[in-house]
Amino acid sequence: MELNPDKRELALKFVYYGPGLSGKTTNLRALFQTADPRGRGRLMTVDTADDRTLFFDLLPLFLQTSSGLKVKLKLFTVPGQVMHNSTRRLVLAGADAVAFIADAQPGERQANFDYWRNLGENLRENGISTENLPLVIQFNKCDLADGALRQEIAETARNSRRPVFAATAIRGEGVKETFSALVSLTLERLDREHGLARSTGLDLAELLGSLARTLEGSRAGGPR
Amino acid sequence: MSVVSPVRPVGVLDRRMTLRELVDQPSLTDLCMSFVELHRLGVKVFDEDGARLVDIKTGSGDFCAYLFTKSPGKQRCTETVTYLKQHPLPVVGNERGCEARTCFSGTRYVMAPIVHEGDLLGRVVLGPFVPEEAGDLSPELFELAGAFDLERVRELQKRIRRASETAVRRIAEHFGKVLEVLLFASYRAALTSQMHIEAISEDYRELQAKSRELKESYERLQELDRLKSNFLATVSHELRTPLTSIIGYSEMLLAGLAGELNPEQEDYLSTVLEKGEGLLNLITSLLDLSKVESQGVKLALKETAVPAIVRQSVSTVLPLATKRRIELSTEVDESMPPAVVDPDKLRQAIVNLLSNAVKFTPDGGKILVRSGLLPQAPEGTGPFGRASRFLVSVQDNGIGIAPAEQERIFETFYQVDSSSTRAHGGAGLGLSLVKSYVEAHGGKVWVQSRLDEGSTFTLDLPLETAQPARP
Ligand SMILES: Nc1nc2c(ncn2[C@@H]2O[C@H](COP(=O)(O)OP(=O)(O)OP(=O)(O)O)[C@@H](O)[C@H]2O)c(=O)[nH]1
Ligand SMILES: Nc1ncnc2c1ncn2[C@@H]1O[C@H](COP(=O)(O)OP(=O)(O)OP(=O)(O)O)[C@@H](O)[C@H]1O
Ligand SMILES: [Mg+2]
Ligand SMILES: [Mg+2]
Repeated sequence: MELNPDKRELALKFVYYGPGLSGKTTNLRALFQTADPRGRGRLMTVDTADDRTLFFDLLPLFLQTSSGLKVKLKLFTVPGQVMHNSTRRLVLAGADAVAFIADAQPGERQANFDYWRNLGENLRENGISTENLPLVIQFNKCDLADGALRQEIAETARNSRRPVFAATAIRGEGVKETFSALVSLTLERLDREHGLARSTGLDLAELLGSLARTLEGSRAGGPR
Repeated sequence: MSVVSPVRPVGVLDRRMTLRELVDQPSLTDLCMSFVELHRLGVKVFDEDGARLVDIKTGSGDFCAYLFTKSPGKQRCTETVTYLKQHPLPVVGNERGCEARTCFSGTRYVMAPIVHEGDLLGRVVLGPFVPEEAGDLSPELFELAGAFDLERVRELQKRIRRASETAVRRIAEHFGKVLEVLLFASYRAALTSQMHIEAISEDYRELQAKSRELKESYERLQELDRLKSNFLATVSHELRTPLTSIIGYSEMLLAGLAGELNPEQEDYLSTVLEKGEGLLNLITSLLDLSKVESQGVKLALKETAVPAIVRQSVSTVLPLATKRRIELSTEVDESMPPAVVDPDKLRQAIVNLLSNAVKFTPDGGKILVRSGLLPQAPEGTGPFGRASRFLVSVQDNGIGIAPAEQERIFETFYQVDSSSTRAHGGAGLGLSLVKSYVEAHGGKVWVQSRLDEGSTFTLDLPLETAQPARP
């Protein structure tokens, strides 16, 4: 995070992490498509001809609060292909929160597990403690999951200390929920550890409301 | 938590970039130039700190210059410029507004913020233009009438474009958007190339760490190998001393030095002696091996009659071959010139091949030993057309060796059947010694073999082994 009290600006970095083709880029696209154009920047994608992320995707979101604090949320995706591990590590540097996008298809269990471990390694390499890191898990492609797996996801959700979401990102389902929960965790942590609300006069509930409106898009009226 | 100056180094993707870093100045100037030509409006671009990146005037140059010559004009002109550079422009998320400012001269400017990722990076200023609704000169100019020749001012002002503020605002907004697309593209290019470089150096760093690890483990292995050789040397030396006593005393007993032996005692003692000698041979080859491994093969070169060496080798294994009813024959070219070799090493090499042949050939088999000059072939010929190499081969009609094994049998300790139930004794050292000895002479050894049909091992050696350069 980057807090500039003079300019009254706060910037937070969110990283979408997970195995190849799990739908990280699709999550960002879905957020981009429905977000209020006044509250989002351009979606930057750096990918190959076959739509595999090469370096990262980047979507900036902007929120404004009545206290006059400008909040910038920068959403990144990492490239999921195995060979891009050093790029994943670089994108992950300085992350304030991570959304782990798992693939709910039956054959992807091992890949999910491998990348979960890979996330742990790269966080460690970046000196980011996993202990208090805001992290949510999304099982994407639920439209392709079988009944057993759906049940398992529900089970995991009940037992996990991390929030777990089922999603079908390609239809936009579960995408906003995942991100909102992550932002909420992140703000709670910053407030707990750095007294964010006190030091900046920030009203967390108001900010989350502003986020919800931005994500809902113009239909619900934009920010401000 | 990082407040303004972050403690940890800012990641590639997290660094804020200034307008100057993001645009290519000549391209920006070109872009502005084409706007100026299209709209007949001046364009100025300032960065966040008010530093000027572009300033193109059209029509207004003489007008402003004239007003600037007199001190009241100069002062107010400066006020306007300062305002244009520094007046805060609001940026809310992606929303931005243009602002207008009228100069004391009655001309007007429109300012549009340049926004990138929600941050204000600078501003575009369009103008001056004469507002459409403006009548004659501005009242302020009339107040300063004493200082200026108003007719002149009127003339000069005519060269400045008249336009409606709404139109100029639209142009400014459009210009801002074009610029933002440009900025987005450059930002993307900058991040991408930075990431590329960083990713490559990360990979390089990783590779280096890996190869360092490999090197370390290689060195550890080498050290272990050295320890093993030393261990072999020490152990075999320590084993030999008591063994020579065992053999010596057995021989003395057998020779009757301690009194007559009955046939049964003699029989037992012969077995002790035989096994003892077998053990001594094994230890000797271990010792040879550790010598080879620790200091390489040292040759004592001498002019040597190869046929004699072959005969001595054959006689060494003859008793064993006879016992197994194996026919051992030779084809030796007695006329070949003497060779400069280490006779002991050559004998040992041939004996090793022969004892393998006996060991791996069933009772009643056949072994043929041949030696002679390499048949005239370009490769085997010296500079004056004389033969420069000779061959010794040992051929048997034994069990043979599968093609996949033919390379490996020359490795130390390698045996085709290394199970504990294997039919033949030995430690797997013979051939590796042969190879070391032959290679020390600058020669080579190879095998031709078919499973169940037999094997032929051939030594190919130079007639004259060069003395090694080092003493
Ligand atoms: N059926 C289905 N397909 C999906 C869903 N989400 C994404 N996909 C498809 O999965 C493929 C990969 O999606 P991406 O978003 O590019 O995956 P990624 O995780 O960014 O992949 P990398 O960039 O290679 O790591 C695309 O063809 C998407 O259309 C989903 O919910 N259901
Ligand atoms: N003439 C041969 N016919 C068939 N196999 C052979 C022959 N010579 C060698 N081999 C194979 O190659 C292996 C290695 O031979 P090498 O002489 O190095 O060891 P060894 O004879 O088993 O033991 P050592 O020579 O130390 O007593 C043998 O164990 C055997 O399997
Ligand atoms: Mg992707
Ligand atoms: Mg042998």
